[in-house]
Amino acid sequence: MKTTARIAVPIILVLAVSLFFQGHNLPGGGFIGGVLTTTAFVLVYVAYGLDYLEAGVLDREVDPGTGIFEHRSVTAYRRTFVLGLTIVVGSGLAGLLLGGSFLAQDYVILHDVPIYHEVELASALVFDLGVYLVVVGGLLTILSVVGAE
Amino acid sequence: MSPELSVVTTAIALPFVGAAATPLIYRWFGERTGYAAAALALVSFGLLATQLGEYGTVAAPWIPSIGVALRFTVDGWALLFALLASGIGVLVFTYSAAYMHGGHNLQRYYAALLAFMGSILGVALAADLVVVFLFWELTSLASFVLIGHHTTDGESRYAARMAMLVTVGGGLCLLAGLLVLSIAARQALGTASFDLATMLANDEAMRSALRDQGLFVPALVLIAIAAAAKSAQVPLHFWLPNAMVAPTPVSAFLHSATMVKVGVYFVGRLRPLLSGPEWTLLFATLGLVTMTVGALLAVASTDTKELLAYSTASHLGLMVAGFGFGAVAGGEAGAFHLLNHALFKAPLFLVAGILAHEAGSRSLDNMSGLRRELPVTAAIAVVAGLSMAGIPPFNGFYSKELLFEAAYEFGHEAGGLAWLYPAVATVASIFTVLYSLKFLAVFFGERRAPQKTVPRPPTALVVPPAVLALGVLVVSAVPQFAVDLIVQGAVDATARGQPEFSVHFPPEHVTPPLLMSGVAIVGGVAAYPVTDRVARAIETVRDSTVLIRPSGWYDRALSETERAGAHVGPLVHTGVLRTYVVWGLATVSALVLAGYVATSASVPAVDGLGVPLIVALVLLIALLAGFAVPTAPSHVAGVLTLSILGFVLAIFYIVASAPDLALTQLVVETLVLLIFLLVLQRLPEFYADLDRFVVGRDVVLSLVVGVMAFVSTLLVSPDPAADPTELARYYVTEAVPEGGGTNVVNVVLVDFRGFDTMGELVVITIAAVSVLVLVTMRTRGETQ
Repeated sequence: MKTTARIAVPIILVLAVSLFFQGHNLPGGGFIGGVLTTTAFVLVYVAYGLDYLEAGVLDREVDPGTGIFEHRSVTAYRRTFVLGLTIVVGSGLAGLLLGGSFLAQDYVILHDVPIYHEVELASALVFDLGVYLVVVGGLLTILSVVGAE
Repeated sequence: MSPELSVVTTAIALPFVGAAATPLIYRWFGERTGYAAAALALVSFGLLATQLGEYGTVAAPWIPSIGVALRFTVDGWALLFALLASGIGVLVFTYSAAYMHGGHNLQRYYAALLAFMGSILGVALAADLVVVFLFWELTSLASFVLIGHHTTDGESRYAARMAMLVTVGGGLCLLAGLLVLSIAARQALGTASFDLATMLANDEAMRSALRDQGLFVPALVLIAIAAAAKSAQVPLHFWLPNAMVAPTPVSAFLHSATMVKVGVYFVGRLRPLLSGPEWTLLFATLGLVTMTVGALLAVASTDTKELLAYSTASHLGLMVAGFGFGAVAGGEAGAFHLLNHALFKAPLFLVAGILAHEAGSRSLDNMSGLRRELPVTAAIAVVAGLSMAGIPPFNGFYSKELLFEAAYEFGHEAGGLAWLYPAVATVASIFTVLYSLKFLAVFFGERRAPQKTVPRPPTALVVPPAVLALGVLVVSAVPQFAVDLIVQGAVDATARGQPEFSVHFPPEHVTPPLLMSGVAIVGGVAAYPVTDRVARAIETVRDSTVLIRPSGWYDRALSETERAGAHVGPLVHTGVLRTYVVWGLATVSALVLAGYVATSASVPAVDGLGVPLIVALVLLIALLAGFAVPTAPSHVAGVLTLSILGFVLAIFYIVASAPDLALTQLVVETLVLLIFLLVLQRLPEFYADLDRFVVGRDVVLSLVVGVMAFVSTLLVSPDPAADPTELARYYVTEAVPEGGGTNVVNVVLVDFRGFDTMGELVVITIAAVSVLVLVTMRTRGETQ
């Protein structure tokens, strides 16, 4: 289990990020990327336990006495979905400020960028980032709190 | 000249801004917040006063697609009400600063009071049905908060909930009534519209449209219920006396001068639109019955504020009855009395507040002879009280005279039973005189008070009622001045045509209405010595049986609902997940299937053989997996077969060329599998033995859900041979130029339908937060 996770998790994470970025033009997007990222985290939980991220990856002290709500990763997940929702609403308001309607989106295509030659910057990506963060934060909050029960 | 939109909206928005900023203002001003609020109200008042004479309608678009706009009409009627509300608002805020000295929760108090004032101004000026409804309900909400000001007091909570249920219940009737009006507008005006101003301008077409569709009486009844609930008309009057647990400034402002008049105001507003024989029958009867019942109950009251509350209901009945009569004098009575009543009733409430504040009592039996200690207060009370009684030459007399005139004319024209109307009006007025005298008695006669010494009230408590009493005197002395200034405009707005309105005093010759006034005054004064016996007789009737007390019915309905809830609750809410699943799925399936049956939807024929082989194969595997799940020997096998089902579905999506869906399904399925692995070891090895009933229920439920899903799929899926819909074509062709993405699904999600996506994100967030809260509560031991 641990060996599988060790190999699979990085691949899943990279795949998730690439799905997120290609979402505007190819299958993928914030929701799918978000769920896939969550899957990677859950794999880590199942294989190594809740504290592994803190103790093993970030090399921090884990205080075993505190409850799940004061758990640092849960706080981080909570902040993640709040941040995501803020981004979503913020991007909507930005559309309003820039003279469009609420949640109006626009895009620019940048030419002559090295390697890619042409990169499209869509404001929808910001919105999608919010989607991604809410999905990751929300699902992980639920999972880790319920998982700790 | 037409009114300025910016001025009107500023006048309405200012109190709301003030309400939002109250915590900040409170930090700077402390208990003097009342004065700051009074200044705000004064600004609103001044802004509105600049619009005097500039009548018309202004609008700013809000939801153009369904014809809703922030539309405001400025006319005499709207301005009369708005100026009264903001003007009395200034005085009440000033009074509050002294009265609420040392009180609790002052921030909330002032914020709610300011928000209330803004809502009242909104109701008064709005000319769009949706906006009217919005502000109407906001006033109920503010009233709820203010009645329940003493949150720890059970009586206060009871009264607040009662007021909320009655007025908001009435508000729902209003909503229905307004929708009926807007349906009629579709026929009358050609478009679905919520534009009240246009409806009023085309009242003839609106009436015939309503009658054509048979909606005239429903609209009338719905609006009458709404107005009756708001304006405390019998039998929905019972919340008003209970609402007197609110601080006295609130009673003076909301429950006598403004909020309770919203119903009357709206009746007046719709009078040109809906008046006819049914209108007169409904509103004149409603009004006169309320006038009589209110007056009788006021006589039987033993508490100053209770007396004033019933008296308010009675006077509101007078206004409703006035508007009920089709005669010119009726509209004049309603409009003029709205002004007069606010001028005399608000100071009486403020006087009752002074009595409670200084003499420490609200009991009528406990106090008398207070004029020596409180001479100014007594003078104010006498002026306002005589006006309330309708004694000439005070202003209350003029408007009551107009009602008598309208009632007399109606009786004279219709004859027969219609003579009851003037008779009842006269009888009610006898009791009005009686309870006015009873209230004034606290200042006269032998000195009796719960306290030995009654201190002088602070100036801030005396000035506001004094200003209003001065208003009473001015209107009494030169009624024509008030008429010319604003009442004429109000009468114009509440009547068809252009009636000329003038007040003559003293009258040139004896008329029947004058005789009726004479009877009322003489009768009231003559009955005064036996007030106690009259009061006891009324009490006997009132207390004889619960059945004639609407509050008894209210209590009963509430306790029955609670009992029923206690029975149903444990049935549905067992705390076991499978019970919730059963109830939820069964309800949804039943509703959906019932919907199909009700609309008699026909299932299209399916060409079963047109399916490609690969799809059939994939679905066959899914079907096998479906059968394998319930028969699986162990949990692990069950979970794995369930996953097979899920992954096969993903393959099906790929085959059906929906890569985004397939990807989502795949990812979600993986996650679910992992979660199952997480909880697998916690599941019990063995459940109970199979219960035949449970198995049967589950089978039936599964079948019902399956049928529902199957039929729904058949009904909603488009015919594969048909062209794509306009919407689908739009999404496909516009995805690249408008959204800049070639993945149409994603562009739809983040761009075209971004608002929906945001809603879903909010749902995820709410789910996460509720899980957090629930688990937190469990750890803290708050499971119940």
